Amino acid sequence: MPRSSQGERWRPPRGRHGLPPEVVARSQRERLLAATMQVAAEKGYTPMTIADLTKRAGISRTTFYELFGDKEACFLAAYDAAVDRLVRRVSAAYEAEGRWPDRARAGLRVLLEALASEPAQARLALVDVAAAGPAAQRRYRAAVQRLTPLFDDGRDFAPGGRSLPANTSRMAAGAVAGLVADELVAGRAEQLPGLLSDVLFATLVPYLGPDAAAREVGEEI
Amino acid sequence: MAATQTRRQAILAAMVRVVGQKGYKETSVADVIAEANVSRTTFYKHFEDKHTCFLAAYEMLVEEVFGEVVAKCDGGAPWLARMTTGLTTLVDRFAVDPALARTAVVEVAAAGADARRLHWEAVARFTEYLDAGRELAGGRELPANISLMSAGAVSGLIFDELLAGRAAELPARLPDLLFAMLVPYVGPQVAAAEMRRAAQRH
Repeated sequence: MPRSSQGERWRPPRGRHGLPPEVVARSQRERLLAATMQVAAEKGYTPMTIADLTKRAGISRTTFYELFGDKEACFLAAYDAAVDRLVRRVSAAYEAEGRWPDRARAGLRVLLEALASEPAQARLALVDVAAAGPAAQRRYRAAVQRLTPLFDDGRDFAPGGRSLPANTSRMAAGAVAGLVADELVAGRAEQLPGLLSDVLFATLVPYLGPDAAAREVGEEI
Repeated sequence: MAATQTRRQAILAAMVRVVGQKGYKETSVADVIAEANVSRTTFYKHFEDKHTCFLAAYEMLVEEVFGEVVAKCDGGAPWLARMTTGLTTLVDRFAVDPALARTAVVEVAAAGADARRLHWEAVARFTEYLDAGRELAGGRELPANISLMSAGAVSGLIFDELLAGRAAELPARLPDLLFAMLVPYVGPQVAAAEMRRAAQRH
């Protein structure tokens, strides 16, 4: 998933540098996680080898096995790290606004822009992730659910929102995930930011109904 | 000819069952021929490999489930009633056949891009039916891809239940699933009323 700074990630100087071993290890781990998302997105999870990863990250095979037991464990850690970064950015944008519909709009905008900025990784994270096995599939669903607390503030905002089904935020998240996956499958990742109105409507509609949701979407686009 | 066709059908049905139980990646041609009770030669007479066999099996599965759902939906009934019946039929079918459900919704995602396209096309066939609900919206302007929102919300909930191995509990989730399916079209009040009605029936 997103973050474009991976190319220029800091590396410790080679040879004798007197850096504490934990600093070196952290840098190696971060490089490896970034490399894993890049290579998996370019090559696909199944054909990706540990040799690809150590080469891209500039670490030895020994170091790889000090950090992770196998390719899957490394991929899952990389996936979690990418989701963490994305959720933090979306949450920050959301928290910066006041009214719930505005907060939702701000959060979703950041989400779509982040995914559009890294199309291959977005596709990997949301569409092709299933190829990495059942554990990865569960991680994907868990990632979608991490965004549900943002939706659930709609309960307090909407008249009668408290009596909505307990699952309402999961439904909204599912609707958003469906719209986004459809664009990614069609190879239109770059156009994701243009989906903001629809994604916002999908988020608001279970809480507000189609009329109020359409009014909110119509304001300030 | 009839026997050949029967053997082909048996292989396809076996593929759906085995993948639903073991997972797509873990499934081998040996598993499928053992389940179908056919020889390896017979398998390769009909299919090039596991993947092409899975794609054919998936197409058969979709035809079967879709046909069943459509058959239960009386064309003359109002949209709301038809959609409720359709969703109930789908969920009941998944509940009695958890392996089929898992293949249809979860494992298909692990079977490569071709398989995911078939899955997506199947979802689209259901959403076409949903889209008649636009009429209920009166003069409102609804987003063009509203049926995708509806289908995404429903399939996300079903996916989670199946991934957690709770296919048998899907019928109990029907009120929530109905709410998710209807709400983009009719809003929370009407969707909640349908949900309560479904909960009473359950």
